[in-house]
Amino acid sequence: MMLLKRLSFLLTVLVALPLYAQNSEQLYDEANQAYRQGKFSEAIKKYEQSLDSTVSGEALYNLGNACYKSGNIGKAILNYERAMKWLANDEDVRHNLQLANLMIIDRIEPVPRLFIWEWWDAINSTFTLTGITWLAYMFFVLIVGTVIVAILARSYVWRRAAFFAGTASLPLLIFSVTIFVAKLDSLQKEDSAIVTANITTVKNSPDMNSTDAFVLHSGIKVSIIDKINTWCKIRLADGKVGWMEQTAAEII
Amino acid sequence: MKRVRSVILIIAALITTRAFAQDGSFVASVDKNPVSVGDQLTLSFTLQNTGSGGGRNLKLPNLDNFRIMMGPSTTSNMQYINGVVSSSFTYSYVLQPKNVGKFAIGAATIEVGGKSYSTSPITVDVSGSAPQSKQQQQQQQQGASADVEAQLGENLLLRATIDRARVMQGQQVNLVYKLYTRVQIQNYNLTKAPAMTGFWSEDAEMSKQIQLSTETYNGKQFQVGMIKRSALFPTQSGTLEIGPMEITTLVTVRDKRSWDPFDVFNGNPFGRQIEYVVKSGPIRIKVDPLPPGAPTSFKGAVGKFSINAKVDKQNAKTNEPISYKVTIAGSGNIKVLESPSIEVPSDFEQYTPKVADNINRRDARISGSKTFEYILVPRYPGKKIIKAVEFSYFDLGKNEYVTLKSPQLEINVEQGAAGATPFVSSNPREDVQMLSQDIRFIKVDRPAFVKRGEFLHTNGTFIALMLLPLAGLAGTLVYTRKRQAVMSDLVGYRNRQAIKVARKGLKKAEVLLKEVSGGKDSAEKKLAFYSEVAKAMWKYLGDKLNIQQADISIDMAVSELSRRSVKPETTAALKSLLETCEMARFTPTSFSVEAMKKTYDDASKIIIELERTV
Repeated sequence: MMLLKRLSFLLTVLVALPLYAQNSEQLYDEANQAYRQGKFSEAIKKYEQSLDSTVSGEALYNLGNACYKSGNIGKAILNYERAMKWLANDEDVRHNLQLANLMIIDRIEPVPRLFIWEWWDAINSTFTLTGITWLAYMFFVLIVGTVIVAILARSYVWRRAAFFAGTASLPLLIFSVTIFVAKLDSLQKEDSAIVTANITTVKNSPDMNSTDAFVLHSGIKVSIIDKINTWCKIRLADGKVGWMEQTAAEII
Repeated sequence: MKRVRSVILIIAALITTRAFAQDGSFVASVDKNPVSVGDQLTLSFTLQNTGSGGGRNLKLPNLDNFRIMMGPSTTSNMQYINGVVSSSFTYSYVLQPKNVGKFAIGAATIEVGGKSYSTSPITVDVSGSAPQSKQQQQQQQQGASADVEAQLGENLLLRATIDRARVMQGQQVNLVYKLYTRVQIQNYNLTKAPAMTGFWSEDAEMSKQIQLSTETYNGKQFQVGMIKRSALFPTQSGTLEIGPMEITTLVTVRDKRSWDPFDVFNGNPFGRQIEYVVKSGPIRIKVDPLPPGAPTSFKGAVGKFSINAKVDKQNAKTNEPISYKVTIAGSGNIKVLESPSIEVPSDFEQYTPKVADNINRRDARISGSKTFEYILVPRYPGKKIIKAVEFSYFDLGKNEYVTLKSPQLEINVEQGAAGATPFVSSNPREDVQMLSQDIRFIKVDRPAFVKRGEFLHTNGTFIALMLLPLAGLAGTLVYTRKRQAVMSDLVGYRNRQAIKVARKGLKKAEVLLKEVSGGKDSAEKKLAFYSEVAKAMWKYLGDKLNIQQADISIDMAVSELSRRSVKPETTAALKSLLETCEMARFTPTSFSVEAMKKTYDDASKIIIELERTV
């Protein structure tokens, strides 16, 4: 009885979150319709409207597709990258992003990273923020439950079992909370961007009259290190650094 | 600037003096001066006394005002006079002045034996009219050469004609150049080919010997020879222009009065020969674009064609090459035909086709065939089908697009010798071939839209859920605390209840004691009495000291009581009492009524005593 009540409670919470977005869902359906009819610019407009005040990984992915189909590779990559943050390990997004990345003009050899960071990224991308929140919650409940059992149990066997369960859950809780914090951080941090301007010249200093460092084409992912007025300092995957006007790129 | 020039002059002077000092010299000369336009002169550069043989790096002066007709030809000469050797080496050029005026022929330089020599410049006076040369004087010929040219213009023409002035794109146009002449031509050279932008042209094969015929043009009879015949295929629409063609002829000019057509054949070898350039006029062709509605397999073929396809063998073995030939034959713009797209089974390896064309240029209409030979290598056995090849062309006769299909071919592929192919591994599986790469389709399921900036962990309900287990923990703690309180209360209760329970037990013992003292003496009654006393005492002690009945023993009770500062006499009394009870249980009859009374009193006393102290 108690369990049932708790479950229904959980469900209401789950349902309550997307309830805000009646209008977005309608726009999303209309956009899908337009996409299927090949009216990609209309689809782009509708998807963008649906993403105005709400957000959803699926809508971002579809918007990416519409941009790709209408030939805007930079925007497509931007939206796929955004979708990656909301959809955990989605194969479709990964595939399309890879395909879109093939169409970028600039070839950049990324600096090799320590394998442990690759693992970290892989683990990170396995969970959605909501998913990891629930997972951490689950371990939290488990630990508190074992403590309660340990207090109440009169028999030695139960006490022992509770102790072991609690000891095992604790590292898992710490792990999931760590990932949760990291994911939340990456979601809120504005540290990488995609170049959306067709072509942009990166300067050696944040000044129009500065010497040109290199030229970038749309679709390239850059990390943002610093910002001054309308300029931002960027770093490419291969380590090149320069200053670019903020309007030339969009934050993921 | 002036200074520089004078320095150069001085250096030049020094060099020349040194050349003279060594008795070597380099001299320029012309055989005729003045000379008339159209006449020829010989320019010679002579090296003197520099030994036999020529020099190196002869640099000619600017000769833009002259046409070089011939040269260089060299002559060397050596003389031995009075013991002195003199030698000369001459480079000569035959020139023809282009314009009237005075032209300077600059210095020519040459290197001999590591020394450099240069000639002094000479001026050539070119007059408009040819002066009386020796040759002309011999021939007694008079009149200006301009006159000759004007007359030649009337008697020597180059005409370009086309068979149609308005065609479709890709339709053949025949362009013919004919030389009309009333003079004797020794020789001719094509000096400027016509510019034919926008056409693919195919020159017809001409016989070496020009066939002459007689034609009347502008009221005059001409000898006509076809010089060039081309088949043109316009590759774009609009008005296209064919530029003029220029040929240079060597004409024998004889007496001014003898412009007799039949004189041409008389062939006077002593006639004067002059060069004359004839030009054809430009030609315009209007090219109409092909009508719309071209089939997808149309790649620009215009004319009339047929298609055929065949393989060299019907039965093949795996990994054995098959030759697959697609032949397109007919008349039209064969050269521009592109390789048709063929469809072979996907497990066939296919190589780029070998293209061979066979074009017949002799006839008025260009015809021929183009063969595309594909080498196919079947990799797997089975019945394979090479689909029909589609080929479209625009039929000029019907004025419509025609699509042809080659026959569909069937090949029976048998398993060839195993191990014939080193690259086929023992594992016959192969990757699924991607036919095309495209992005995956959009997601259609309704997603969960979340308000921007809103997360699960900031949601109020979730926070409440987080607090829920903590509340449970707090509840548990409160519950255990209370239970402990109740537990400690139970001890007090037992303590309070102990005397009552003991009294009840002693009361039973008292009843039994009365019965025994009343004369009803029996072993069972005595046993029951002692056991009642013992039971009452144990129960009392258990309750009083909060010890489970099962765990209690005499020693435990004694030590517990002494811990609670009970008088040693009392504990000793208790101990002896309990021991008496224990003993009586085995030998009840040995105890008298007095003994029983004493035991009862002791028990009561001990309880009272304990009640007071504990």
